[in-house]
Amino acid sequence: MRAMHCLSLAAIFASNGCARNGDAAEAREPGIVRRQQQATPPVFIQHPDNIQPGVALHGGFAQLTNPFEGDRSRITEGSALFVSYNCMDCHGADGSGAMGPSLADGRWHFGGTAGEVFQSIYEGRPEGMPAWGGRIPDDQIWRLVAYVQSLGAGKDVSTENFTGKTISKMGH
Amino acid sequence: MLRISSLALVSLSVSACKQLGTNTDTSGARNVQGGAPIVADARIGTPNPPGAEGEWTMPARDYASSRYSTLAQITSANAKNLKAAWTFSTGVLRGHEGQPLVVNNTMYLVTPFPNVAYAIDLTQPGYPLKWKYRPENSQAAVGTACCDVVNRGAAYADGRLVYNLLDGHTVAVDAGSGKQLWRVQMADLNRGETITMAPIIVKNRVIVGSSGGEMGVRGWIAALDLATGKELWRGYNTGSDADVKIGPRFKPFYATERGKDLGLTSWPGDAWKIGGGAVWGWLSYDPTLNLIYHGTSNPGPWNQDQRPGDNKWTCAILARDADTGELVWAFQVTPHDLWDYDAVNENILVDLPVKGQSRHALVHFDRNGFAYTLDRATGEVLLAQPFVPMNWAKYVNLETGRPQIDTSKATKQGKLVKNICPSLEGGKNQQPAAFSPQTGLFYVPTNNLCMDFQSRPVTYIAGTPYIGANAPETGGPGNYKGEFIAWDASNGRKVWGIREPFPVWGGALATAGNVVFYGTLDGWFKAANARTGEVLWQFRVGSGIVGNPITYLGPDGRQYVAVYSGIGGDMGLLIAGDVAANLPFDVRERGTTLPDLARYTSWGGMLFVFAL
Repeated sequence: MRAMHCLSLAAIFASNGCARNGDAAEAREPGIVRRQQQATPPVFIQHPDNIQPGVALHGGFAQLTNPFEGDRSRITEGSALFVSYNCMDCHGADGSGAMGPSLADGRWHFGGTAGEVFQSIYEGRPEGMPAWGGRIPDDQIWRLVAYVQSLGAGKDVSTENFTGKTISKMGH
Repeated sequence: MLRISSLALVSLSVSACKQLGTNTDTSGARNVQGGAPIVADARIGTPNPPGAEGEWTMPARDYASSRYSTLAQITSANAKNLKAAWTFSTGVLRGHEGQPLVVNNTMYLVTPFPNVAYAIDLTQPGYPLKWKYRPENSQAAVGTACCDVVNRGAAYADGRLVYNLLDGHTVAVDAGSGKQLWRVQMADLNRGETITMAPIIVKNRVIVGSSGGEMGVRGWIAALDLATGKELWRGYNTGSDADVKIGPRFKPFYATERGKDLGLTSWPGDAWKIGGGAVWGWLSYDPTLNLIYHGTSNPGPWNQDQRPGDNKWTCAILARDADTGELVWAFQVTPHDLWDYDAVNENILVDLPVKGQSRHALVHFDRNGFAYTLDRATGEVLLAQPFVPMNWAKYVNLETGRPQIDTSKATKQGKLVKNICPSLEGGKNQQPAAFSPQTGLFYVPTNNLCMDFQSRPVTYIAGTPYIGANAPETGGPGNYKGEFIAWDASNGRKVWGIREPFPVWGGALATAGNVVFYGTLDGWFKAANARTGEVLWQFRVGSGIVGNPITYLGPDGRQYVAVYSGIGGDMGLLIAGDVAANLPFDVRERGTTLPDLARYTSWGGMLFVFAL
């Protein structure tokens, strides 16, 4: 079973078609698989508590731009990674929200620019968002950013209207 | 327990789902107005709980998990006069599962994360706090818990209040001062473990168990020393016999539960290491047999193709020696679970007649839709009958204890299996039932939901969900999604039912005044006649109810009934995320399972107390 997992991951990594420096080597031995072989896993979901919503970014993430912005084939690849890395099981099908917050509401807890979304994935966030930086290649994170940003684009979820049909009287 | 929403919900055919177990109300029972029990010779199977008659010192009031109180000032004749007496805001939103305790004229509350504890002085006007305790609790736990950040309550013994923190610690505080006595890390967030369950305290041992069946955990149950927090034993629910604590005393009733290292050999390779079997539900204890009873959660992942075999001891009821943790018997309710049917629901210990013979029984309303009456000394299944509409199995074979599965409802990787009833929320979930020796009946909050199920390959990544399936849900057959029922566990039949538009996700309380209480997701707290199911009184609280009512005697000698209001858990976070009105950064669209719920309720966090 473990072998099967590695294969399925490798297939995903191979299919991204990215030829940037270092990515090929990374693809053969992704960080996640390495991590499973370590006796003491590094901290993955713990996050420094000093990163708070609304606080200015550090480390230059805000200046980053997504090389894949608006690239449909990369967005499609990002949607596959969203399933493969179990993002969907936290954030819901189509990013609609589950254990983790919705990514499809056009609202952003920690900022919605490409650099800010990259930072959220790379560094993790305090309420259990894992830090994926160094565990998966940066170009895969950018594919995820492109996918996630596509989910809520242009949505207005401000109003929910309940008029009209409602539940029929029950009971008893 | 987790549910993943999907926009592409296929509408389920109501007529395609067999309506097993949906007897209409028994009109004969409605005419009974007090007097003889409906099921004769049924008794709570354990001695009276510690504390006074008017107190509530452990989650289900007694070790039998009866949730029955002998208080009888509130009766089926005067319940219509109930009024709100006082309220208290917990300061926390999210799902308020669980229940308060009342000891020494003090009420103890534990909130959802961040798991604040309050001690309320019931002797003073205005009910001021004696203390509040704000534990250190890792924020990372919020996103590691599958199904909202709930807590199911505390236990009290020997001047100590003990409960679990979402981030995996167990804490004990001095009940008089609120001072922390000890704080012990039991679970590891980095492996996806959290703790949501309520402990019980048995002979100076605190019994706790883990959550995280959706995160690839390896489930366990452990005993801590009440005085120091020192771990005394820990039994795993997968793995070798030594780890599971199977030894010479292990005598399961059924042949399929016997064999060496089944917790290893019923899994492929090392899958048992991440195979689930968490202990997030309720615990019971029989002092005569010295056995602790607990259920175990679903196996991980939900994708069954990644774990061929029985997957022992997931989806099972286990009986362990309270002193050593040794397994004495085991019964796997749903072997090789294909539908996320955890077996963690409460086990109610009652002595009752079955087929003319008095039995020391354990009654369990499983997620899988069958109500089991077991022999609690041996694990033998005496009866198993559907208590909600269901179609995944035809019956339970009493020779083997195993369900006879309808193969058209068997889930398989890559295949979309439609209209499986009950849904993965189960015929009943965490909402605990109650038992009244006055009527001999069990009072059971139930769900009436069905699902489609499609599984897919999933990779284990520590600290992330390990699920591998989508399972959109919708209402079951009939125009109702929940029902509060009275159940005869001697004969395996429903006696009456109160249908509700939404799943009944709050627990039950039975009282000697011939009154039973429960709350609804749309915010009604109701009192019903225990014999007939007639609704006697109802009150609209602020937020939907997912907690469990209790009753106590105040210092003024009056009987009170208390319940949390505060929707959440699976129902208020995952199934109907749009009830959360306070999160500007997490706006969820209306779900398909309970599309109307947000019209009737929003998140809250209040204690409501009622009296005549």
